[in-house]
Amino acid sequence: MNNGKDARSYKAQKVIDRMGQKLSRQIVGSLTACVHCGMCTDSCHYVLANPGDPTYAPAYKADMIRKLFKHHYDWTGKYFPNWVKAGSVYTDQELEELKDTVFGKCTNCRRCTINCPMGVDLATFNRMARGLLCHVGIMPEGVEYVAKEQWEIGNQMGVLKEDFIGTIEWQEEELQEEMQDPTAKIPIDKMNADIVYTVNPREVKHDPRSILDAAKIFYMAGENYTMPSEGWDMTNFGLFNGDDDLGGAVAGRVYDNVRELKGKKLVMSECGHGYRSTRCEGPNWAKQDIEFEAESSVITMLRYIKEGKIKVDKTKNPGSFTFHDSCNNARSCGLTEEPRELLSLVVEDFREMYPNRAENYCCTGGGGAMSMSEYKARRLKSGKVKAEQLTATGAETVVTSCHNCVDGLTDIIGHYNVGMNVTQLVNLVANALVVDDRINENTTKYAAELATLG
Amino acid sequence: MSNLLHFSEHTLQEIALVFMATVYFLRIKWFLKWTLAKERQPATGMGDTNPKKGARYSLVMIMKPWTMESTRSKPFMYAQFVLFHLGVVAAIALSFIIPYGPGLLKSAALVSAIQFMTGAALLVGIMRIIRRVTNPYMRAISSPDDHFSLILLTSWFAFALMAASNDISGGEGIIQTFFLLTAFFLMYVPFSKISHYLYYPFTRTYMGRSFGRRGVFPLRKKPAYETV
Repeated sequence: MNNGKDARSYKAQKVIDRMGQKLSRQIVGSLTACVHCGMCTDSCHYVLANPGDPTYAPAYKADMIRKLFKHHYDWTGKYFPNWVKAGSVYTDQELEELKDTVFGKCTNCRRCTINCPMGVDLATFNRMARGLLCHVGIMPEGVEYVAKEQWEIGNQMGVLKEDFIGTIEWQEEELQEEMQDPTAKIPIDKMNADIVYTVNPREVKHDPRSILDAAKIFYMAGENYTMPSEGWDMTNFGLFNGDDDLGGAVAGRVYDNVRELKGKKLVMSECGHGYRSTRCEGPNWAKQDIEFEAESSVITMLRYIKEGKIKVDKTKNPGSFTFHDSCNNARSCGLTEEPRELLSLVVEDFREMYPNRAENYCCTGGGGAMSMSEYKARRLKSGKVKAEQLTATGAETVVTSCHNCVDGLTDIIGHYNVGMNVTQLVNLVANALVVDDRINENTTKYAAELATLG
Repeated sequence: MSNLLHFSEHTLQEIALVFMATVYFLRIKWFLKWTLAKERQPATGMGDTNPKKGARYSLVMIMKPWTMESTRSKPFMYAQFVLFHLGVVAAIALSFIIPYGPGLLKSAALVSAIQFMTGAALLVGIMRIIRRVTNPYMRAISSPDDHFSLILLTSWFAFALMAASNDISGGEGIIQTFFLLTAFFLMYVPFSKISHYLYYPFTRTYMGRSFGRRGVFPLRKKPAYETV
């Protein structure tokens, strides 16, 4: 490492060089257009939870990246660096400081983006900066670990294929028992299915109930579906660590498996960043157009109810509910109305949270923050805004369509003693299913079969 | 009118305008050399949005302060923004009216309108200077260019206000200074943040296209499913 200003460390030089390769016109526009009007300041939950500390201001954080661009790629910064606050990085320590900003002070929630009069998309170039740092090995330990799991094992929680299949088989047995139908299946690698269903590894490892709930809904709808034994992870850490190669590899793996199984439609379970990565960003990262349909399971479940494929009884979900919009679903994918419509069909008492939809505040677990334990205290402090939002609804349960948000909200609810439950739409829909007739039918059918067998 | 004032109103302005246009041309050329990232993602969100609709919405959001929380929740700041930019329009117009259509300034109404707009912008400029210096968030994000650009524009408004009547009976100093400032302004702008309007159509369009494709723009305030 060299502390001199005319020489820079190997890593710092790499970051500068690679930046030139990662700049698109969209990013250059965002890096050039900021007028430092400060209108974005109050849109950030970190700012609101840390009054008086300007280092959390979106424009300030953006300038930590922007200064590099100005110094190395823009005229004014090259020739008049001090005049426009251009600057470079020279040491690994400076890269560590940049890491603290791009990983530890921003969840890439894009709330400042939609509040910028100029259309500056900080989240996009913050992600780029994360990618530059990851490329030289500077990242939070948790990010490195999870990315490695996704590269090497194929899913971000390191679930082995046999464990995945074992969990699905276990849930299949649960399904058979609950439905009183020994023939009920959770198909794996079935060819020519109408739906290929992909999930979040968190479901396999920590919340298999959501797989069972989805399976019950598919069963009741009579859906011809399958789960792939490979490429079932619809989450994508490439979104968080800024590595387009990882993003492309993970999304490509999902797409390839849908093609290999000759599936007609890809359905993704409730996960905000997974939905955004696989549905929206994945084709860009993988540099491939997807020829099959892809949709969120929220839309699938809603369609089942509208088409009469499943019947629900909202009285089965008593109590009051509010809905938390995942940033990636709402602000980056426009998935705001379908979850509300679905929720209103399965609960009686729905209370809107304010602000909501694309203006909702981050659960604080976005941008991979849940894997960055070194920033946990900072994250929980920034959760004050969300805790106040939740409390103001007076609801007993907060519903969200994102596994990451489930964890982020659970942390905040515990930290601020909000006293709420957290659940997902799939759980509520499964709970509201009108299944009695079907179970009675199954019981009668199999009792008769058993009687025939003597 | 002295030769110096005539030179400042005409030749100097023309040179400055050509200079600004040249730098802008180079600047746009530089900007366009960056590759436009291809968007491959299929449309998401409700079906009534698309990239074109999103881009149109994005471009005019600034004229609809209720669409952004940042402008909706700060009506005073938004009013300042409007007045400041109206002042810019009035001062630019004045810099063309005086040399090329001085007869228009015989209209007291027009002179009053220009004076109102530049006067209001001057006040806003002073408030913005104070805000930029005293607000810790603004201070932290400000560069010398931010301060200088604001001071330059505010001074320009002051001289535009005084020059609006185009009256040189008391001396040419005010109008002379207004035109010297205008020339400097024209040559400085392409290198400063004041040139943000050059990028505005691009950044807003790109954002709007992306958010339109994803069904984020136009932003929804009430359940679409209840109105479909």
